[in-house]
Amino acid sequence: MRKQSKFVGATFGAITLLALGAGPALASGSSVNANLKPIPGSGVEGSGTAMVSVSGTTITVTMAATGLLAGQPHAAHIHFGADARHECPVIGDDTNKDGHLNTSEGAPAYGPIVVSLTKSGDTSPASALAVKRFDTAPGGKLTYERGSIKVSSAVAAAISAGKAVVVIHGVDYNKDGKYSGTVKSDLAPTLPTEATDPALCGALLAAPVGGMATGDGGAAGGVNSGLLIIGGGALVAAAGTGVIAGRRSRTAVR
Amino acid sequence: MTDSTSRGGRRGTLIAAAASAVLCVVGVGAVTLGARGTDGPPTPTVAAPSISVPAPDAAPAPMAPSPRNSTTPRFGRFLPASRPTVLDIPSIGVHSAAFVDLDVTADGTISVPGTADEVGFYVGGPTPGQLGPAVIAAHVDSTQGPGVFYRLGAIKVGASIRVSRADGSVLRFVVDKVALYPKDRFPTDQVYRSTFDRAEIRLVTCGGTFDKVRHYLDNVVVFGHLFGDEKP
Ligand SMILES: [Cu+2]
Repeated sequence: MRKQSKFVGATFGAITLLALGAGPALASGSSVNANLKPIPGSGVEGSGTAMVSVSGTTITVTMAATGLLAGQPHAAHIHFGADARHECPVIGDDTNKDGHLNTSEGAPAYGPIVVSLTKSGDTSPASALAVKRFDTAPGGKLTYERGSIKVSSAVAAAISAGKAVVVIHGVDYNKDGKYSGTVKSDLAPTLPTEATDPALCGALLAAPVGGMATGDGGAAGGVNSGLLIIGGGALVAAAGTGVIAGRRSRTAVR
Repeated sequence: MTDSTSRGGRRGTLIAAAASAVLCVVGVGAVTLGARGTDGPPTPTVAAPSISVPAPDAAPAPMAPSPRNSTTPRFGRFLPASRPTVLDIPSIGVHSAAFVDLDVTADGTISVPGTADEVGFYVGGPTPGQLGPAVIAAHVDSTQGPGVFYRLGAIKVGASIRVSRADGSVLRFVVDKVALYPKDRFPTDQVYRSTFDRAEIRLVTCGGTFDKVRHYLDNVVVFGHLFGDEKP
């Protein structure tokens, strides 16, 4: 993003804006953020925010959430699948119609695990259920910050493009204050499904591009001013298409 | 998709023609105000010590926190999500309960409130009180006269920003910085990301000088952080 704004500054007003296309402006660094909201059917009344900064193939993740089952390990991941919808699951994804979404049922929406947000050690999908290395949300509050997480260039690109999703797992359907119940996890048959079912979810999206048109006295409809739209378009063109493309599809999905 | 592509292409052509145009369009309102003998909306001045105006070639502030690997991050206080309902900034006479949603538009820019009486809340970011920067934007003026944020550029470091939320809480943020940014150098990361280690707030409007074709050249951005609750 730093480089992007330099580009905008350097080339704004020039016809070459459009030629930048998907150029190098976004390649070196960008950041995306997510609003974490309850998974439908999870019974969770929580929320959270997350930010992921991408620098080459290294990411920094900062995250905070409230309203989680207290004192239990909450597996947390970045999910991405090229064929996924790049969004959080809806209740229609509950294929077995039990009223809850397990991790597999959410996969068409958010894809497989690509990063395990462990507090120490390995961060690959192999650590997806490394319960001892995840935050236990004391008081229902989860905080997480970790830098220097290495990812593949494909995953870095997907995150920058707004196609990745943060998921925090661990629910308490029967409200007994712990992971329990007879239904076993779709991920690990030794665990109750409460331990691994998704609780909070948020798509990692890019910030809006450019400044704000908050002084358009001339346009009664504000956003309808032709000049405003043109001006915004110029910045978009300068910013390259990586983030924009992701943004567009996201907007369409909404 | 074909339709949107062709529209994008046409827009591109227009960009070339209007590339030097800026985002804010000042209408009759501001001109009229000028004729009434005012100097337009207050603008953070370069000389004031509390104002930072990035020099054209200054390196932008860091986009991300330096990697930290603490087991438990020492974040400032943060709260669950709850939508803002009322904005009060007594020091500059702002009071508005007319909140509207702002989101990213098809071209990647942020939408703005439809009228100058409304205050926009960017729904793609944190709500005020959550970890990270909550972004609120309003118009500086309209054809009818001053908008909600007409006096935003006059706010002082240390001033209080009160935000009431749908959950009944009333939060107090304190102003850390007031700055004027050319729109073509809008500090996206500082506004929407920050260091993401405490609950922050951003107030944005148009400002600066307006050019001969009556465009505001800059955005005024107020940076603040959560200081306390007035009500739980
Ligand atoms: Cu997961």
